[in-house]
Amino acid sequence: MVAITRSLSPALVGERLSAVLLAATLGLGLLFVSGFAPVVALHNAAHDWRHAHNFPCH
Amino acid sequence: MTKRLLAAALVAGFLAACVASVLQFALTSPLILAAEKYETAETAAPARHAFANPLIVLAHAGHDHSGDPQWQPAPGLPRLAFTALATLVSGVGYALLLGAVLVAAGREVTPGEALKFGIGGFLAASLAPAIGLPPELPGAAAAALEARQLWWVATALATACGLYLVAIRRGPVAIALGLALIVAPQAWGAPHGPEEISAMPPVYAAQFAARSLAVAFAFWAVLGLAFGWAWGAVAGRQGAAGARRGVAA
Repeated sequence: MVAITRSLSPALVGERLSAVLLAATLGLGLLFVSGFAPVVALHNAAHDWRHAHNFPCH
Repeated sequence: MTKRLLAAALVAGFLAACVASVLQFALTSPLILAAEKYETAETAAPARHAFANPLIVLAHAGHDHSGDPQWQPAPGLPRLAFTALATLVSGVGYALLLGAVLVAAGREVTPGEALKFGIGGFLAASLAPAIGLPPELPGAAAAALEARQLWWVATALATACGLYLVAIRRGPVAIALGLALIVAPQAWGAPHGPEEISAMPPVYAAQFAARSLAVAFAFWAVLGLAFGWAWGAVAGRQGAAGARRGVAA
């Protein structure tokens, strides 16, 4: 019988923080590109998405 | 944990984008195309807007259909493909934010829990901004873009913080503060453009607003459920891979 114990290692706090920060930064970056970026080509490519999901457009 | 979060967000964003893309093609894109016909007709008669407030920008005025050389996807399939691509990019972006919030809140990530946070995302990023700035078809008159974007972001942030205080922190002070945060941007009011009479039948705008919110709800629900499922599935694969490595050793 193998007992599996899971405990929170001290590193997990730092790892969790870095995972959250990385995901949040990447997520905000992707949303900026698809929803807010003023570059005309990006706006035109994402135009219908922006209207359908109520991002202020134009 | 970083890999697990990124992998789950990719899976959830992809699945939500698939569902939302199909719904957009069926429900919202036809209305956008129909509205653009009226918009083209209106921009062909610029005299109507000669006395407009210079701070008020008529959506699309003179840039999409006036023959300027700015790139835009060709009509038909390329346009649908770029809409789907934008949906995918945003889906992964929202999934990353959803995952970051779930992990930061220290919740156990299950499909049910992630669905609750997904519905919170719908309330914060779709419903609350839509109260002040309803989803608009191309061609509708609107206030300056930056003012609307600022209000949109502030409303989404304030509503998200408010929901966190009301639903997770609880406690009388937190609930009072949370409700105040949710109400504040609506009480402040969204920037509005002039009330213009458009040749477009009003039923288009009404249908578009309702359908847009319905699509957004489906998008967020799938995003939440899929993130919760993928979070568990990725852990299962990692566990199985670890066990295989253990056997091989």
